Amino acid sequence: MAQQEKKKSRVFDYFCEKEDPYVGGVAWCAGCTLELAARFVPKVLGNDMVLVGCPGCSAPVFYGQNTGAWHRLSYFSCLMTGVASSATGISRYFRRIGKDVTVVCFTGDGCAADVGFQPLSGAAERNEHIIYICYDNEGYMNTGYQRSSTTPLGASTSTTPAGIASKGKPTPAKNMPLIMSLHGAAYVATATLSHLEDFAKKLLKAKEKKNEGFVYIHVFAPCNMGWRMESNSSIQVCRMAVRTNYFPLWEAENGKFRLTQETANPRPIQEFTRPIRKFAHLKEADIDKLQQMVDERYAFIKGLCAIGN
Amino acid sequence: MKAQKGQVKVITGNATAAYAAMLCRPDVVTSYPITPMSEVAEQLSAFHADGILDAEMVEVEGENSAMNVVAAASISGGRAFTATSSWGLSFMYDAVQQASGFRAPVVMAIANRETPGILAVSGGQQDIVSARDTGWIQIIVEDCQEIFDTIIMAFRLAEDYDIQLPVMVNYDGFYLSYLAQAVEIAAREDVDRFLEPLKQQPQRPRLVPGEPLGAGTHGIEIGFVELRYKHCTAMERATTKLDKIDKEFGELFGRSYGGQIEEYLTGDAEIIVIASGGAAGTARTVVDAKRNEGIKVGLIKIRLFRPFPRKRLVEALRGKKAIGVIDRSVCFGWNCGPMYMELRALSPDIGVVPMLSYIDGMANLDITTPHIERVIDETYAAARGKPYQEVTWIPLEE
Ligand SMILES: Cc1ncc(C[n+]2csc(CCOP(=O)(O)OP(=O)(O)O)c2C)c(N)n1
Ligand code: SF4
Repeated sequence: MAQQEKKKSRVFDYFCEKEDPYVGGVAWCAGCTLELAARFVPKVLGNDMVLVGCPGCSAPVFYGQNTGAWHRLSYFSCLMTGVASSATGISRYFRRIGKDVTVVCFTGDGCAADVGFQPLSGAAERNEHIIYICYDNEGYMNTGYQRSSTTPLGASTSTTPAGIASKGKPTPAKNMPLIMSLHGAAYVATATLSHLEDFAKKLLKAKEKKNEGFVYIHVFAPCNMGWRMESNSSIQVCRMAVRTNYFPLWEAENGKFRLTQETANPRPIQEFTRPIRKFAHLKEADIDKLQQMVDERYAFIKGLCAIGN
Repeated sequence: MKAQKGQVKVITGNATAAYAAMLCRPDVVTSYPITPMSEVAEQLSAFHADGILDAEMVEVEGENSAMNVVAAASISGGRAFTATSSWGLSFMYDAVQQASGFRAPVVMAIANRETPGILAVSGGQQDIVSARDTGWIQIIVEDCQEIFDTIIMAFRLAEDYDIQLPVMVNYDGFYLSYLAQAVEIAAREDVDRFLEPLKQQPQRPRLVPGEPLGAGTHGIEIGFVELRYKHCTAMERATTKLDKIDKEFGELFGRSYGGQIEEYLTGDAEIIVIASGGAAGTARTVVDAKRNEGIKVGLIKIRLFRPFPRKRLVEALRGKKAIGVIDRSVCFGWNCGPMYMELRALSPDIGVVPMLSYIDGMANLDITTPHIERVIDETYAAARGKPYQEVTWIPLEE
């Protein structure tokens, strides 16, 4: 008994002791990390928030079905083009009437990095009091696994299919979290589902910082269906993304960068790509290119962390 | 009790729009500059900087965001105002439709401007014609005083519990936007008094943080159909509601505009000329002149373009012998003016009489008194059985 008590971690507390605002049987695929993120965020931030979302894989659950709701959160649904701007309107109105409200945008990378990028960039520059959480499944999953601008180099998607004349996506992913941090936002961080303690800390920090200005959290969130991987492998894939430096965990508070998870001996990128069949067609030379890109990006973040330390 | 006499200022249409919006005490104000309405944004920012306007000001990075900001603020329970023109309206097209679908009662001033290409920096009504099926209420006004009065009335209409729909208040870009006229600026207390009845109404549905309530989630299947139906019936109610609000405004401020349409010498008229916006003012003087010549002509100024004032028009037009309609935009696919096309749809109710479409005043070209004389002369001749041309592009025939 006593031993069990000791084992309790913060993450355990969040998951098992906080009320889950969702009902069971929601319309997400088995093994989907977006579901995990969507369930975890309110557990840490509390149910007393306004969730703002748009079309994407999160939408069917957030919308509910006709008169049936799948969660107990106050929710504002809008278009992919209007998430950060709608959140601005909500946040500004409640600020005007003197009510402290946590406004949380929760969208895919397709919205954040592509069609909804302009309003996101505008809201970040204006330092609106909003928390924007982007779950990055590296593509437009809801419409059938097409490429987005965060799809990595070489990934085979339904609009960049690998074939005799194609090696998958020809350009590397847009470095979204870095771009957002350069807006001068109050707080920017990366997170993933294999490192929940780290994610929780960042969410708590987000709640604190949102009264100062814009917060952006970029969550690496594999999609089993679109990436063509086993439904029980998603957490391991998250972990390997961190351990290979493919997705480094860092935060930037008022422009000051810090790695929150150092990888002593980074693993080769194959250990990340191997279980993911969207990379299955890549030859050694292609993998080398991907490795080179990962190394360069990691060095860049390391360099940013060194500034001012 | 009548309102006190307001201060008279000689100001542009844009500045007038800003004064009216400011006096309505909006909670959230945003807009993205575009010719010819930029001055609205500047004037509102100046009011804010001077401490006259106590609102959240959002300097958005584009019109699409402007519309999303005001719609969301409105759904959260606030009063919200924005302004735009032409491409700005096009760039917020998705959000415009969403705002009405949300039943977000925002008010937007539009300085009407052409759209076919970047060099079309000129007046015309094509921008709002392109938005006539967005589910918004659209009102077109004639002069600066009417801009002022109508923006105040627009908030009463938009936020009315029976309506809950967004309203566009349209004025001629370049002409009215930049034209300075004497405008009586109502006293703050009187504007408050006019908007007071909204506070007595039940609270409209809104987003409540922490409450399990979805905003902007629409039903599917039958739930969706029901929402659409309710939207349409609310639009329908807006017609007579505008008449009522306009009358009430007149009782308080001594100025009213006929609500949905303004009729001028229509009672005994044999023929009618129909216009909107600033052109109606010119038409009124030409009608006076033609009356002196013994031609029994009347004028109808269309104020409410959406919902279309069907009933009022039918009452005013029944028994008339011919109708000439002046449009400042085109109806693609029908090759005539859009208002003309709408008027044609009333034929079964008013009887088949000659209807003549005149396209004029596009691209900043003036709708002159000789132009309107021509409209009246030809319509009059048509009423007497003379052959007539259905559609006339006046500038091309000069
Ligand atoms: C303006 C607009 N264009 C296209 C769509 C169609 N659409 C719906 S979901 C989606 C993809 C969303 O991708 P992402 O934001 O990454 O979310 P995910 O599906 O991956 O969860 C698209 C393109 C849309 N809803 N709105
Ligand atoms: S398609 Fe992918 S992102 Fe969407 S619910 Fe399924 S696993 Fe999750």
